[in-house]
Amino acid sequence: MSEDSGTTKPRIRAKARVVPIAVDDDSLYEVRQKVYPRAVSGVFAHWRWALVWFTQILYYGLCWLPWNDRQAVLFHLVERKFYIFGWVFWPQDVFYLAVLLIISAFSLFLFTAVAGRLWCGYACPQTVYTEIFMWIEEKIEGDRARRMKLDAAPASPRKFAIKAAKYGAWGAVSLWTGITFVGYFTPIRELLPAMFQFDIGGWELFWALFYGGFTYLMAGVMREQVCKYMCPYARFQSVMFDADTLTITYDTLRGEPRGSRRKGEDHRAAGKGDCVDCGICVQVCPTGIDIRNGLQIECIGCAACIDACDQVMDKMNYPPGLIRYSTENAIRQKWDGRAILRHVLRPRVLIYSTALLILCVAFLWSLSTRSALRVDVIKDRRTLAREVEGEFIENVYTLQMMNMAERAQRFGIQVSGIDGARIDGASEVGMDPEQNRSLTLRVRTPMDAAPKGSHAIYFEVKGLDDPDLHAREKSVFTMP
Amino acid sequence: MKLVLVLWPSFFVAGLAEALFFTLVNPHELYLLGQPVDWSPLATYSVGFFAFWFVCAASSLATMFLARPLQEGGSPAA
Ligand code: SF4
Ligand code: SF4
Repeated sequence: MSEDSGTTKPRIRAKARVVPIAVDDDSLYEVRQKVYPRAVSGVFAHWRWALVWFTQILYYGLCWLPWNDRQAVLFHLVERKFYIFGWVFWPQDVFYLAVLLIISAFSLFLFTAVAGRLWCGYACPQTVYTEIFMWIEEKIEGDRARRMKLDAAPASPRKFAIKAAKYGAWGAVSLWTGITFVGYFTPIRELLPAMFQFDIGGWELFWALFYGGFTYLMAGVMREQVCKYMCPYARFQSVMFDADTLTITYDTLRGEPRGSRRKGEDHRAAGKGDCVDCGICVQVCPTGIDIRNGLQIECIGCAACIDACDQVMDKMNYPPGLIRYSTENAIRQKWDGRAILRHVLRPRVLIYSTALLILCVAFLWSLSTRSALRVDVIKDRRTLAREVEGEFIENVYTLQMMNMAERAQRFGIQVSGIDGARIDGASEVGMDPEQNRSLTLRVRTPMDAAPKGSHAIYFEVKGLDDPDLHAREKSVFTMP
Repeated sequence: MKLVLVLWPSFFVAGLAEALFFTLVNPHELYLLGQPVDWSPLATYSVGFFAFWFVCAASSLATMFLARPLQEGGSPAA
């Protein structure tokens, strides 16, 4: 990392890169130098904040949304049902969860291949909460220089008060985050009043504190270390990159040789590049790296350095974009935006997109045709078949029925497949909303209806109020 | 920091195991030492999670232990 560029001014270097050290080393990680990111404004900062608002309004708000007398989104662990707007998911629906996970994974592959760590830079909870916590820090402790001064200052009542205010505010946000989290698993409108009357269940309280504590730890204390050492995605995202992936890039050809200069000086004539070596890009970086050393695994793609450098370029009256979203190939071959876009559509991206599209369509299709009725037929193993009243053969079955709808239903049951087969007893059943019921059915056929052996028999269950609810299950009828 | 290396991945895997296990198994259908588990579902889930975490952490710890390079004389480095 020392491609020396002939500058006179000492360069501001990124802190030492982390080298994975053998496990026998007790200090497994370098001694962490606290990063004091400088606040930044600009186009990408606006995007980041837009996503902070979006995700957090969603997160803090969604659990308060009502839907048919219940919470719209509720993962009701006690009832073992997941409510998501009009849908109710049962443990039997784990298939949807699996598909959803696969879809998420493919989206991540796709986004990463196209534009690097978009997720990390804008949407990851780690980034979002860190952003919120840093905002609080800035409001209470002041800007970067003041924060560094405050930390270096000896203990004093003032320092104590400022720190207490900051930790207090962080704690409040964390606590609310924790309570909200639990509110997705226990109805929040019951949880909160219970909490104020100190009547909350021990485990609910525990998980609220646990999740809140985690938020505090990750966003307040660990910050960039989470991305560097704990996040599995950060470790393997590089395999999804190629030379056509858009990443935060410092334009070496344009910037070097870097160096300070007087304003208005013709730096080109003096043999200098566009980088004024102000170091602002390093100061704003939440992970404390120097993007001018090339793309590094620590870079979370937050684009803070783009905003920062563009401001510097603006002051110097240089065109913006010394640091910008670009690709390795583009920088090397000096492509313009259009050429970069042309290279976005490459086989890898097309494969990811096709897979994603197919998965999404299949998922939505299966979700929209999902029946609120589920039937399982189990043949009674104890009494295979018996003769009754001297003229019928009877087989016994158990019907496992699930009414997954949120209203009561009546169902009619019919058998077919063997001539003269009928159900002995009631062939209608009423079910409560979201009820699980098992029903014993005796099916009779005339003795001469079929030859000796096993025969296919079909159980047809139809909603009497809602003919769309319909299931047909196959089983076996034994003739002795 | 070694602690993080043991606790974090196990936390992660325990979360997965927990989700998978309790999707398939209803806590009311569990037996502990021959007795049906009659705790509140939330308690069962929570205890289950920590049990998973503990087991996974033990595995991570064992891995860390065995991954220590052998030093001369065969005794692992501290
Ligand atoms: S902010 Fe821009 S001009 Fe300043 S050091 Fe970084 S790259 Fe160079
Ligand atoms: S190098 Fe730039 S984009 Fe990468 S983490 Fe630092 S500030 Fe964000």
